[in-house]
Amino acid sequence: MSDKIRLLIVDDEVKFVDSIAQRLEMRGLEVTKAYSGKEAIEKARQEKFDLALLDLKMPEMDGRKVLEVLKNEHKFLEIIILTGHGSMDSAVECTKLGAYGYLPKPYELDNLLDVLKNAYQERLRKKFQKNQERLDQIMSFATGASPLAILRKLRELDDEAK
Amino acid sequence: MTQENQLPGQSNGFRINSRHYQDLKRKNIIRLFLTYLAPIIIISVYFLIQNNAVVSESRRLHLKAIAENQANLLDLFLNERLVNLSNLINDPRLKIPPDDSTLYTSLAKLKSSSAAFIDIGYFDSSGIQLSYSGPFPDLEKQNYRNEDWFKKLSSERREFLITDIYLGFRQKPHFTIAVKRLIEDNFIIFRATLDPGKMYEYISALEGSGEVNTSIVNTEGYYQLVTPHIGTPLESSSFVPPLEPRVDAQKITLDGRTFTYGYSWLKNAGWALIVQHPRHESWSFFSGGQWKIMVLSAVILIIVSLVIIHRARQLVIVQIESDQTRAQLEHASKLASVGELAAGIAHEINNPLAVISEETGLMKDYLNPEFEKNLSREQMIEHLDTIHEAVFRCRDITRKLLKFVRKSDVDLKPQNVHSLLDDVVDGILGDELSVSNTEIIRNYDPQIPEIITDGNQLQQVILNIINNASDAIGGRPGRITIETKLDRDVYIAISDTGCGMTADQMNQVFMPFFTTKEVGKGTGLGLSVSYGIVKNLGGTIMVESEYGRGSTFTIVLPVKFKSGIKQKSK
Repeated sequence: MSDKIRLLIVDDEVKFVDSIAQRLEMRGLEVTKAYSGKEAIEKARQEKFDLALLDLKMPEMDGRKVLEVLKNEHKFLEIIILTGHGSMDSAVECTKLGAYGYLPKPYELDNLLDVLKNAYQERLRKKFQKNQERLDQIMSFATGASPLAILRKLRELDDEAK
Repeated sequence: MTQENQLPGQSNGFRINSRHYQDLKRKNIIRLFLTYLAPIIIISVYFLIQNNAVVSESRRLHLKAIAENQANLLDLFLNERLVNLSNLINDPRLKIPPDDSTLYTSLAKLKSSSAAFIDIGYFDSSGIQLSYSGPFPDLEKQNYRNEDWFKKLSSERREFLITDIYLGFRQKPHFTIAVKRLIEDNFIIFRATLDPGKMYEYISALEGSGEVNTSIVNTEGYYQLVTPHIGTPLESSSFVPPLEPRVDAQKITLDGRTFTYGYSWLKNAGWALIVQHPRHESWSFFSGGQWKIMVLSAVILIIVSLVIIHRARQLVIVQIESDQTRAQLEHASKLASVGELAAGIAHEINNPLAVISEETGLMKDYLNPEFEKNLSREQMIEHLDTIHEAVFRCRDITRKLLKFVRKSDVDLKPQNVHSLLDDVVDGILGDELSVSNTEIIRNYDPQIPEIITDGNQLQQVILNIINNASDAIGGRPGRITIETKLDRDVYIAISDTGCGMTADQMNQVFMPFFTTKEVGKGTGLGLSVSYGIVKNLGGTIMVESEYGRGSTFTIVLPVKFKSGIKQKSK
């Protein structure tokens, strides 16, 4: 398990994805590129990501749809919406669907990095909270349970923390 | 901001005194006059003519009656005079030949029965006045053998005679009545002269003579008796009544003025009595109460005219207002569609901008020693090309945008309907449609010729309808069918498999500000303005829809833009 932030970029704008990926890699992120919604969903199934940058307007599969699928399949994946659309309505709608935030294109890289950092912290916070809950559960479970059962529960918890 | 607050055209072209509206006003006035005044005038004139004919006919009959009446009375008068004279000559106690004193008594008798008698004379067949009594004693022993009256009376088998008025030996207008008495083979004659002035006084005293001018003419048309301002006795009359019928009234036009004469021939003398109104017809036209009606009509006419002029002005003002509203709507909708378009186009512009931003950022990163990276020449060119390409993508979009909003005047050119449609579907809407799940089916009729129309405006309409179709489908998989057909006019039908409309919605679909879209999503102006545009291009838009199944909008356009439809002036 690397200590780098694992990021999935989803956009049909190939050149854009290539250059942003390169720049974020220079800044120490581990970046995976997806040029369509379908590709993104497949890649997310294969490996785990901390964060995703998602374009809203894409052919075949709309960003909103991709958001729903990803959020459904990966509870702790924080998704940031990138949109070139003039109005923010659809982006705001996406935050209601579970996106962490949105960023209008074009943006300043520093802003993006800030948002990514905050989103990562949010992910950690959520994860920590979840772990705490589990820990509490286990602690209550532990009173009167066999040491073997406690060990099994801990392994479960460890798996989820990945 | 000032640009937004001021509507184009409000400052110019909508003033009531502009040529277009002056024209409109004039046409309105003419139309209103024809509608309201013409029938009234025609009816009035008809009744006036009818009325005049009736008045004229009754006047004619009236004059005829007066003439007949007066002639009868005059006949009676002359008859009486003849009887007076014949009583004298046929008196069995009469000494023959009578001497002057006998005649003197006789004259006194005559004068007692009528003041018109002037003198009396006695003739035998020799034609010499043998005895005389009266104011002209010189006339005694005068020979009358060659006088017309004497010749007539002596030669013909008649017992009395009334002469025309003449001057005679005494050089004063007078006329003569004479009676003949046969005594064995010979005859004697009493002759009396009468003063026509006295007879005129008698006529003047008759009933009805106050309202008419009475004159008497002989068969040759010379005045015998006449009102002084009409003529003098023995002058020829302007009107000579025909011998048949004996009694009538006739209309005569003299020097452009129309007179009605009533006349009646006398039984005893060769005279006709003529009566006429003292004024000519055109004067009597306004006589009585008619001038009041005329004044009343004139007042009504003026009031109606003022009302009509006022109404025409109002109509023009209403027209101006509706034109202004339409211009405002067009402008508002243009702004609105620009707004809608801008939102759509923003995405298209922001994407290349994001590319540019990333590429420049990346190149700066390469130049940043912190990252310890090097950029090869080839890589550099590759990144710059990407930027260049993105810039031109932006340019293309702004071009399209300008092309869409720039023109508003009707710009008539031969247009290929199919390439106009393709421009909208592939060009303006191309990117938007390609990312949605909407399938576009084109079913073009190859027989459609180029049509004369405004391509930009038509594209605006098509864009609007396809946008609506796309919204109706709303992200679900769907199909937009574009079909063209030539059936005298050109039909462009755009069908979608979207949500469709209820009958109620369908009725309101072309009304301004009617929208089924969410608040803030639609202005409700698109179809209303599209309708206006197509009307302006001489065509129509029809709509069919089934709720839940989809809608079809059909644009019908003439192949040739018909003249007579208002073309906006610059």
